[in-house]
Amino acid sequence: MTKFTAWIKTIIFYEILVGMKATLSHLLHYKPITLQYPHEKRTLPDSYRGMLALLRYDDGTEKCVGCDLCEAACPSRVIKVFSAEVPGEPTKRYAKEYYMDMTRCLFCGLCVDACPVDALGMTREFEWAVYDKRQLRLNKEQLLAIGDRSYPVREKRLEFQHPNVAFFNVAFKGLPEKES
Amino acid sequence: MPNVAVETVKLTIDGQSLTVPKGTLVIEAARQVGVMVPHFCYHPKLKPDANCRMCLVEIEKIPKLQTACSTPVAEGMVVRTATTVVNEAHKSVLEFILANHPLDCPVCDQGGRCDLQDFSHEYTPTTSRFIEVKRVFQKEYFSPLIEKQMNRCVQCLRCVRYCDEVMDVKALAPVNRGTMTEIKHFGTHELDCEFCGGCIQICPVGAITSRLSMYEFRPWMLKRADTVCTYCGDGCQITLQTKDNQLIEVNSSLGAGRNNGDLCARGYFGYHATTHPDRLTTPLVRRDGRLVPATWDEALEYVAETFAQLKLKHGAQVFAGVITARCTNEDLYLFQKFMRLAVGTNKLDSSARYGQVNAVRALCRIQGTHRWPVTFEDIAAAEALLLVGTNITEANPITGLRVKEAVKKHGATLLTVESLQPTVGTISNIANLAAHHFTAHPDQYKPVVLGLIKAVIEEGLADQPLSQKAPAYLQAIRDAVHALSWPTIEAATGSSAASFKEAARAFARTARAVIIVGAGVLREPGASGLAATLQDLLLLTGHHGRPGCGLAPLAEQNNDQGAVEMGTVTECLPGPCDLDDQEARARVSALWQEDLPQGPGLTIPEILEEARGKTLKALYLVGEDPVGSLPESARAKEALEGVEFLVCQELFLTETAQMAHVVLPACSYAEKDGTFTNTEGHVQQVRHAIEPVGESRPDWEIFSDLAGLMGYPLEYGDAKDLLKEIRALVPGYNLPGPTPKPSRPDHTAVDRYLQQGYAEDLGERYRYTPPVKAAGRLTLLVDQSLFHSGKFSTKAKGLLHLQAEGAVSLNPADAARLGIVEGDRVLLSNELGHCRTTAKVWDRIPAGLCRFPEHFDQEARRLLSVSIDVATGVPYYRSAQVKVEKAQ
Repeated sequence: MTKFTAWIKTIIFYEILVGMKATLSHLLHYKPITLQYPHEKRTLPDSYRGMLALLRYDDGTEKCVGCDLCEAACPSRVIKVFSAEVPGEPTKRYAKEYYMDMTRCLFCGLCVDACPVDALGMTREFEWAVYDKRQLRLNKEQLLAIGDRSYPVREKRLEFQHPNVAFFNVAFKGLPEKES
Repeated sequence: MPNVAVETVKLTIDGQSLTVPKGTLVIEAARQVGVMVPHFCYHPKLKPDANCRMCLVEIEKIPKLQTACSTPVAEGMVVRTATTVVNEAHKSVLEFILANHPLDCPVCDQGGRCDLQDFSHEYTPTTSRFIEVKRVFQKEYFSPLIEKQMNRCVQCLRCVRYCDEVMDVKALAPVNRGTMTEIKHFGTHELDCEFCGGCIQICPVGAITSRLSMYEFRPWMLKRADTVCTYCGDGCQITLQTKDNQLIEVNSSLGAGRNNGDLCARGYFGYHATTHPDRLTTPLVRRDGRLVPATWDEALEYVAETFAQLKLKHGAQVFAGVITARCTNEDLYLFQKFMRLAVGTNKLDSSARYGQVNAVRALCRIQGTHRWPVTFEDIAAAEALLLVGTNITEANPITGLRVKEAVKKHGATLLTVESLQPTVGTISNIANLAAHHFTAHPDQYKPVVLGLIKAVIEEGLADQPLSQKAPAYLQAIRDAVHALSWPTIEAATGSSAASFKEAARAFARTARAVIIVGAGVLREPGASGLAATLQDLLLLTGHHGRPGCGLAPLAEQNNDQGAVEMGTVTECLPGPCDLDDQEARARVSALWQEDLPQGPGLTIPEILEEARGKTLKALYLVGEDPVGSLPESARAKEALEGVEFLVCQELFLTETAQMAHVVLPACSYAEKDGTFTNTEGHVQQVRHAIEPVGESRPDWEIFSDLAGLMGYPLEYGDAKDLLKEIRALVPGYNLPGPTPKPSRPDHTAVDRYLQQGYAEDLGERYRYTPPVKAAGRLTLLVDQSLFHSGKFSTKAKGLLHLQAEGAVSLNPADAARLGIVEGDRVLLSNELGHCRTTAKVWDRIPAGLCRFPEHFDQEARRLLSVSIDVATGVPYYRSAQVKVEKAQ
């Protein structure tokens, strides 16, 4: 019996059939896995880490306070922040210039974690192929533009919402007085 | 420093036993065994205050926790710093502090080096039980230099205590109580103080920060370079902090350098001068009457060729060179070597000529050495201090701190002879601390000193051993002061004979006495004589030659002392030795393997004189600007116009450099390595913090290249190579320790002076003839102000915030008499010219005097005449008689 089964398997190339099972079944139920990329796109996972962006508050002001913590957190020195005082608003800090060299970025997201004001976000953009890699050195305006198109819903400005937790970078006017 | 046997006690801290001197605080003892007790309000420089409660520790047999910062050690004490109870206490203290702290670390400049951050990280849970709204202080004003953010304050009061205890300025005070305590200054105007930056440095959190570098950096980005400040002769160690080759801020750490972490406004806020946009970046060569940029090769070859041609045509004696004493020792040394060997002339001088030469002459003459016989520590430990013409809190603020320390902490008796009146003001006034103060005009210090000597003699305070050792000397002085009558002295000084006697008693009856003299003595006519007379006072009271006693002349420029020791003044060879000292010449030429040039040297006034006489063909000026810094009556411009070939090596295109044929850009102190010798003779390392600005190069490299092109190679690998050669010639340049070893007076020199040396000018020195003053005239004194010094401070934006223009300061009584109020335009005039300026009424100016800040005196300088010291060749141009009136 076993001899006979083995003989049958030999003449019908059973092992090959087993090995080709997936191929053969797809031959019958034709449904391609390869996406026709520019025409078809994959659904990205929820926690997809794409292009970085700078965000704004609902009143259009930049969230970034220029604290340099993203620069410190970045493992591959992508970020360069030049911070300064907000012109006309003494002691408020902001990033006068902000650069990201995306050619080096690992998309690890440590900068987003480090940001104390949630000014950095990872978008779902990934189509950033360019002919000149210098175009991947993004400045503040470019990063804000990415944020604007990727995060249409903006957070409300914190101004002085949680004075019992922390407050910073607020203008020194209109602050609630401490009750005595 | 006096050596006293100290009692010690034994104690145990966290299981480690140690022995410390009695009186040590527990927190200091703990630090010695490597146990860090967290603290905010404790600081080694300040008296314990124990207000932050952070340093609580458990001490056996004491039921409650104790503050380690205010508890002195006791025999057998057992301290525990890391028990549960202690940790709980730390937690609660921090919870209270954080209840109000805004937690704005992301925007705080202290973030990354903040004590509160560190301790919170170590001791607190991440949540707080406080749900109340945090305390918020409204801001009243935003400062241009010192920014207070009171929401961050932990109320340790270190700034208040530093301002009072160390600086003696008392500009800050706590206002209100409890959590609402706020650090404020007096008055409703902006902060107006000495701006020493001490409160910024001492603040453990970010409540007081510097506005100059605000938000430009994070502490972890900064590169540090420990170097030496160049704004005065004190030689404070500063740490230049840079980010991407840009100067960001200046710090000074506790225990570092001669200043022990203290700085003045110039040191703390004056660092922008070196990176000013006006800095010269390329060599300039005059073509068709205009200075045009050139390459280094072009410029140096042009200079070398012209020098060679002129030397061939006229010989080496038509050359002269002047270098500023703000250069490093290496630069100064190589300059004189270049001038003597490559060029072949002794006609060289440095800006030490303007005052320091007087000081060194007087020291050499009577004590036989050229350095201070005392150190800053000796000043702090002195029992009596006599300050003559120093204006120390403005001219040499850090030496001033040692004087303040002596008086405030150690109870020294301070005698001041100053053109100041004791008054309360926004900046400290040394006359306020004086037990015996004599107000004197800058030309009237001599009668006060003579009065003191007369009082010493008449009160019988003269040293007994001296009367046996040098009876003739004592008798000569006795006769000389006898010839002076008390009424003459009283009339000249306005002080009574009784006050002189009292002061003399206070000074003579102490074990350790130091006399400090400043620019008021050294830069006024009769300087070296008066400095010698002050040494007579020390000899008479028996202080001369005793450890911890002596005469300490303050240097005005950071490397005045070095310039003399490097032999970069006319009369000296490196050592310093006399130019005609055959033995020294042989030693120097043996080391250089070259014969030294013969022929006389020339001092700065003589160089200008020769230039006017057209006998000088080529002049090499390094960092010196005679046209811009000497008064018009010195006729420097006319002199330099007569020079055939003028080479300037400069940082900026000064008035003199504009006349030059070649301008070579040099590096500032922040860009080069080397050493500076401070006023007390302590050699300190200068290290570069940034790369040279533009194409500028260190001075010594330029000399070395020029020498090579002229066929006398002077090649050195780096500044250290040069220092090695200097060590072979000049004693005291070995690797210096933390404190200098003061020079001991040479007894043969002292004896020579006591036996016959005194006789040559004693009569002259002890003669006093009241000056003839025209009626209705005030004495104009062009003097240094606290916020500016040197040639570059007016390029520093921080210092310009503090003082941007000159104003003539008048005594209130004089101002009232002339009908002048603060802010009026006034006209100053005398035979030499006139100038218009703004008036400032300042009660520390004595009657009959008016003061003008040296750094804004372009206009006022034309009122000054120059007189030249016959003995030392020092040009004096600090004071003049002027008529002051309200401008129409």
